[in-house]
Amino acid sequence: MENQDSKGKIVKETFPSELISIIGDILAGILLSLLILPFNSFPILILMVPALLSLRGNLSGPFIARTSRDLIIGNFTKRTWIENVFATYTLSILTGIFIGIFSTILNFVFFKLFLLPTLYFILIPIISITLTLLISIPSSTLLNYLAFKRGLNPNNVVNPIMTAVDDFSTVFCFLLTIIMLGVP
Amino acid sequence: MGLISGSLLSINEDLLYTIPIMLLIIPALNSLIGDISTVLVSRLTTHLYIGTLPPKIQKSKRLIEDLYGLIITLLLSLISLLFIGYLVGIISGIRIVNPLLMIFVISITILLIFSIMFITLFIGAIFLFKRGKDPNNFLIPFVTSLADFLTPFFLILFLIMFL
Repeated sequence: MENQDSKGKIVKETFPSELISIIGDILAGILLSLLILPFNSFPILILMVPALLSLRGNLSGPFIARTSRDLIIGNFTKRTWIENVFATYTLSILTGIFIGIFSTILNFVFFKLFLLPTLYFILIPIISITLTLLISIPSSTLLNYLAFKRGLNPNNVVNPIMTAVDDFSTVFCFLLTIIMLGVP
Repeated sequence: MGLISGSLLSINEDLLYTIPIMLLIIPALNSLIGDISTVLVSRLTTHLYIGTLPPKIQKSKRLIEDLYGLIITLLLSLISLLFIGYLVGIISGIRIVNPLLMIFVISITILLIFSIMFITLFIGAIFLFKRGKDPNNFLIPFVTSLADFLTPFFLILFLIMFL
């Protein structure tokens, strides 16, 4: 019970999850500093990265929470899962379009760095988010299912692991997207 | 907020080229402060609902116990982050400029943001709870965005001040 948690218990339960999250994020940082920094259009690319990383908390988090909830209350079916996936993808694509539009506006108003065609500002976040979800959705569903089958509470186990997986896959898919589009 | 944070990084691109280790640790720093603050919001909300924390802006044993627990977790995580970050930096050949100064800057950035978060979230949770709202629903998305903005902001500010 939370009302009886001592500081030692808080540390014991929170620190291991945080350690997993740190390792995943350091891997994301390696990709950023070794593989994305050398791109000529880096000043524009770095504009989008924090916004894409924030999506992990705003889109992937609720997907994981809804799947856990469905498993716990016995409501997990193919139909509920497909609805959940569809909702997450729709929101992600809409968010990707908004990131693209706002990045374009920010670039035109403040930065004035014309290193990329305008269409790329929209395409990069959309493709990158779509690819990230291709990794995130199956892995979080599988983790949720395995945790539940083993009698663990998916809410406590899945989120910290997926924080690490999502942050790394966000940066990895971003890199893949810019390579595929031939970004200079 | 993510795009404002991106703009801050983009404006200071020279700093990122000079100190590439910053890019290596920024995602982990953002995540660390966001995760610890989310735990804080969830705990404050639960305490308020079950009545172990009075809905008043005052010191209490429960609040202090949570504060110490989270500070110890934050410091342990910070030490792990710096250790893993620097180890990875050395192995991957990423240039590490002035490591002691970087450790100092990263530490004061994280401690300052946690202090800001703790005060803001404590007052925010009580304010929302008193108005019949669930603090979790409002403060968790707010925390994620605020952490994404404040971490690069203070990191860049302190680096400019001390470098």
